[in-house]
Amino acid sequence: MSAAGGAADAGTGAADAGAAGAAEITLAFDQATVDLDALQRSAYAVAAEMTVDIRVCGADYVCTLFPRKHDAADEELKHRFRAEVNDQILRVRIAKETEPLRNLVFALAFSRTGLVDAEGSG
Amino acid sequence: MKLERAATALPRHGWQLLPLRFHRLDADSVVLTNLVGEHVFVTPDELGAVVDGTCADQELLARLRAAHLIQVPGERLPAELLAIKLRTRMRRLPDSTGLHIFVVTLRCEHTCRYCQVSRQSAAKNEFDMTEETAGRALELAFRSPSPQLKIEFQGGEPLLNFPLVRWITAEANRMNKEHGKDLAFVIATNLALLDDEILGFCAEEQIHISTSLDGPQDLHNGNRRRPGRDSWQQAVSGIRRVQERLGTDRVSALMTTTEASLGRAAEIIGTYAELGLRGVFLRPISPYGFALRGRGGANYDVGRWLEFYAAGLDQVVELNRQGVPMVEMYASIIAKKMLTNADPGYVDLTSPAGIGIGALVYNYDGDIYASDEGRMLAEMDDRTFRLGNVHDSSYADIMLSDGLLNPLTESITLSAPMCATCAFEPYCGADPVFHHATMGDFTGHKALSAFCQRNMGVFSLLLRKMRDDPYFRDLLWRWAQ
Repeated sequence: MSAAGGAADAGTGAADAGAAGAAEITLAFDQATVDLDALQRSAYAVAAEMTVDIRVCGADYVCTLFPRKHDAADEELKHRFRAEVNDQILRVRIAKETEPLRNLVFALAFSRTGLVDAEGSG
Repeated sequence: MKLERAATALPRHGWQLLPLRFHRLDADSVVLTNLVGEHVFVTPDELGAVVDGTCADQELLARLRAAHLIQVPGERLPAELLAIKLRTRMRRLPDSTGLHIFVVTLRCEHTCRYCQVSRQSAAKNEFDMTEETAGRALELAFRSPSPQLKIEFQGGEPLLNFPLVRWITAEANRMNKEHGKDLAFVIATNLALLDDEILGFCAEEQIHISTSLDGPQDLHNGNRRRPGRDSWQQAVSGIRRVQERLGTDRVSALMTTTEASLGRAAEIIGTYAELGLRGVFLRPISPYGFALRGRGGANYDVGRWLEFYAAGLDQVVELNRQGVPMVEMYASIIAKKMLTNADPGYVDLTSPAGIGIGALVYNYDGDIYASDEGRMLAEMDDRTFRLGNVHDSSYADIMLSDGLLNPLTESITLSAPMCATCAFEPYCGADPVFHHATMGDFTGHKALSAFCQRNMGVFSLLLRKMRDDPYFRDLLWRWAQ
């Protein structure tokens, strides 16, 4: 964990990276424990509340949060983003683990519709 | 002899996850859904333990296994069953298009606040569909593979061109002798022009009447304006006449929520109940035309509509508790998707989207649109969803056009960002027209989408009520049948 200041979050490997500027809200996530995919999905999911800039900094992904509302509390935003990252990590994990079964179910579902034959026969 | 429970118990790490998605309903409750939307409520800790393989709660594991959320390694049956259910849910796809909307005139004697399409004087015949155009549209409609064909007459006010309604009905019946489809007719009318001749025709042809009723007199007449300010009286009188002549099940009504409706859910539903209407559809205003500019009674956000919807749903449930049968139609459509493998075929809640493959719209001038909302956009000079014209487009031109295929493929929820991992994906739909109108692309940014926010709100509300209220759970099961 390379982030300066603040305690690491056990679930996400996130740390408060401290304020680089007066108005900046940043969080650092350890690249060893957090996928970039999960961070990008999280940034997408919270877009109604904040936009997020993600940069690589040493062994961390450093996320800068930009609230859409000026009266949004910094700590609330950090909790909100960390919670979203936790959920996205879980979603990515489940999706990865179940992908072969998902593909099997879809293959079984569409193998008997006649649609596959129709496609094949051109 | 004592049966050994251990024989069916799953040891730690003794199960495999099946494809599942989750949504946090509140701080201590998470709903898990499988590929086809079957669901189980768990706590956040239970979710973690199930994913980690450390769960020791055999009763929970049994429930998850029964709902095809986990399986024992090596099992084949869960995948087979999920595939059958998935195929059942999508069985309508090869049988496109069931609904054909004929805009027989743009003329209307109402000037409703929220209407985008009918501002034409009742005297201008140039806004009427001709027999030639209607005949070409019927030829295209009968090309649809769907064994069911519903022809819906819309406007404007379709009864202003009643001779054409008669002509299309007769011609469709004649053509159907060759095609043998399950043919049905609907007239979407404000009922102000209803007379004995029209009623007799509807009785003879078993036509269903769909009308608009926004609630109590002052609210309805404030929204739906006509000379004499008697729209409500005409609608109520018309509903009663149809009920008496054709039967109570042959007329249904739709309401549109304007800002003036908010806070009046109980009165609106009370009006429906007094008229003996068994269903109410609590619909938000469409985000087209005036509504996009914040006019026509559209000055409210999704949060306020959800409050209105929740209050209305409570009122409908209360009526049922008192022995008055009443269905909230949107909840019943969602219930079918949540609790059965049937596809209710509701155009806004399907993926691939319902445009074109669920419904086609033939405008008075012969232009063909992928949906009614697509036609409304065209009235605002956005012809993105115009697929052709009955006079120069073939069936293949329409159904294989980029204008239809691009929005269909770009908006499929199984691959759309956020939708693909959303627990509510099996209940929801792609709405490329809405997202094009509000965001400028067919997929839309779901985190910013009012469609997503509204439906997530309704799904969460229904699930919470099912979890907490056994009476509501039973009622929703009945609505799903």
